[in-house]
Amino acid sequence: MLTKRFLIALVMVLSSSSWASAAENRWLHVRVEEAGPEGELVRINVPLSLAEKVLPAINSKELRGGKVKVSEAKFEEVDLRAILEALRTAPENEFVTVESSHQNVRVAKAGGNLLVKVRETKGKDSAETVEVSIPFPVVDALLSGNKDELDILAAVRALGTIGDVTLVTVHDKKNKVRIWVDSQNVAE
Amino acid sequence: MPVGAGTFAGGAGTLLLAAAIAGGAFVYDMGAVYVSVKGKKPGGENVRLILPAAVAPVGVWLVPKKDLRQAMKEAGPYLPALQVAAEELGNGPDFTLVEVKNPREKVHIAKQGSHFVIDVDNPNETVHVSVPLEAVRTVASQLATIPPTAAGDTEESDAI
Repeated sequence: MLTKRFLIALVMVLSSSSWASAAENRWLHVRVEEAGPEGELVRINVPLSLAEKVLPAINSKELRGGKVKVSEAKFEEVDLRAILEALRTAPENEFVTVESSHQNVRVAKAGGNLLVKVRETKGKDSAETVEVSIPFPVVDALLSGNKDELDILAAVRALGTIGDVTLVTVHDKKNKVRIWVDSQNVAE
Repeated sequence: MPVGAGTFAGGAGTLLLAAAIAGGAFVYDMGAVYVSVKGKKPGGENVRLILPAAVAPVGVWLVPKKDLRQAMKEAGPYLPALQVAAEELGNGPDFTLVEVKNPREKVHIAKQGSHFVIDVDNPNETVHVSVPLEAVRTVASQLATIPPTAAGDTEESDAI
């Protein structure tokens, strides 16, 4: 009996410490590469454990206690939270596709990730492609707060528990942007 | 020398020595703010400044009040986050926070040991700034205690 209790306690301690170390060893990276001979390269590395601690301490208009009000997260009258809620319950590979003369938007659920791809045509030979891939545990965490808010802090915590993932890529004629999470403390 | 005067002088000396050691230990504990600017062009100026980080909080009170008020208006909501960040950075490994490179300039911002280090290299100069994280935390916590409009806060008075 004592041995069983000891083993349960040991597993609890180990699992909690491994979660903590997982978050501590995870890094969010941003890389922005500007094209051309005068182009600039920007690399940013942030430990997720730092983001976890810092987010609750920010109390600005947009972000309070690690949460953003949904009204702030509306983009061009698109209700982001409503879309995320719908996708969470939808079967895999179900797409939302919006096509217009200058913009194509595709939203999909595949491989446990929420995928968003936006291709915007800018003029004759210029286009911008934005791809977003968010693991659903992170989406769930994002929606775990009240109905009118997105829980950014919970999402960051969830990011700390998943594997290496590219979250955002943006490609256009002038810039390449990549945002990703891995275990390296240096960006490539 | 009257009886007891030597004892008093000795006691005062011991107190002063203890105060000096305690003060020195405090200054040592806080580290130093290091600023180096090396001009690259002929006649360019070289500046090297080493300040005990312990004086950084004092410097806050020397900033003109209107400038401080403006800075507080913009940075106020983020000061608690800066405090937490400085504290947390001290516990973590060394890393490069930001790196910017273009053909004209390189900027490198990193956490190195117990310091926040900024390096800038451009055709005109190289700049190296090293600030103890503890000093960042202390200054941020001190600024956070300043109300947006302090009592007796007038445009006329220049420094707090």
